[in-house]
Amino acid sequence: MSGQPLQEPSRASGVLAWHPRDPDEEALAALDRRDPDAALSVLMRAYGSAVYRYCRQMVTDADLAEEAHQLTFVQAYEGLAGFGRRSSFKTWLFGIARHRCLDVLKMHRRRQKRFGPIDDEPDLPEPGGSVEDRLAERSLAQALERCLRTLVPRVRVAILLRFQQGLSYPEIARLSDEKAPALQVRVARALPFLRRCLEEKGMAP
Amino acid sequence: MTSCGRFEAEGLLLLEQGLPLDEHFATCADCLAARASYERLRREVGSLGEGEEPPAGWQARVRERIEERRESRRRWWTWWLVPAAVAASLALFLLVRTPSPQVAVSLLVEVQAGSVVHRGGDAQPGDVLHLTASLGESGEARHAELRVYRNDRELVLRCSDASPCARRGSELRASIPLDGIGRYQSLLLLSAGVLPPPAANLDGDAAAALAAGAEVELGPEVVVR
Repeated sequence: MSGQPLQEPSRASGVLAWHPRDPDEEALAALDRRDPDAALSVLMRAYGSAVYRYCRQMVTDADLAEEAHQLTFVQAYEGLAGFGRRSSFKTWLFGIARHRCLDVLKMHRRRQKRFGPIDDEPDLPEPGGSVEDRLAERSLAQALERCLRTLVPRVRVAILLRFQQGLSYPEIARLSDEKAPALQVRVARALPFLRRCLEEKGMAP
Repeated sequence: MTSCGRFEAEGLLLLEQGLPLDEHFATCADCLAARASYERLRREVGSLGEGEEPPAGWQARVRERIEERRESRRRWWTWWLVPAAVAASLALFLLVRTPSPQVAVSLLVEVQAGSVVHRGGDAQPGDVLHLTASLGESGEARHAELRVYRNDRELVLRCSDASPCARRGSELRASIPLDGIGRYQSLLLLSAGVLPPPAANLDGDAAAALAAGAEVELGPEVVVR
């Protein structure tokens, strides 16, 4: 359920009709009404699934991904009053999600380092259906998830935000406080690595 | 596998930069095959986790956590405003009159930036780090110690019963200003016996405490930028 727009009535043509409304507009309108709870509802409805998908691929452990996902929206709520409107809510939310995912990854690693492995085999996301003819596709997706996990987090962030979330390089640069050309080079170098990793698993893209 | 390496060496970056490819890439069969393969790879990454939804009830859980944090802020507000004598009397009264709640050992780490208190991992110089440790059911009978290390090496806080720590029943609190840039890692140590003295090295100290039979609770890291 990503980007599900709300609707509002319009009488522009003299006939009561329903037109989709951009979630960012909806959330901004709620902020203008000093109603952050309504703005949060809009953002959770519009971007909750996309942020979850991102966290799930970044963190892979289901519990930690849920933690990062929820913290993203908790922190977003607390930051709504100071939302600068210089970027879209999507870019802003993914900036928060990036920090929270990297935090939980760091904490997980530090715990593993000090107190031994907590979970050697992180949970793999369960795909929606189990139809037989999707098995090959599913195994390619799983192989790709495993290959993505071998990338260092900052490279994984760039790959996922670019291709999974469709953010532009300037948007990723803004939210990660990096330079767009550096991100482009990082992604261009990571793609052959991913491709070779898949080929080693017998999964040519 | 394709034999022309130019596409990976040059073509991929040009595509990511949104720049046109030169003529070689339009005529070289290996490059065309490689390009098609990378297009499929991009689409595969794009469809990862498609159809996955967050667990049911997550929105309600987010709102619960927001409310919990509000409550936590209110607690801090009260903590700072109520005169010490009243707080001490009340604490004593509560200690005598009410049984200790059955709480698990935990370490809550919050950052106060001005009047805003949050649990995020980022902070700025001048913010204040607040630690609230729940010592568990048998916590009152055990030695409890709070420590904060900067950059894993510098021990910037170590306290137990005396200032800057404040102990109330099965709760231990402390606050320190975050003056310097760096990573701040908090630890709660619970021990029935004497803890080994710190050597100002987080890994070594945590390992020594564990070896001495202590319970070690690690708080989330706070990074001051």
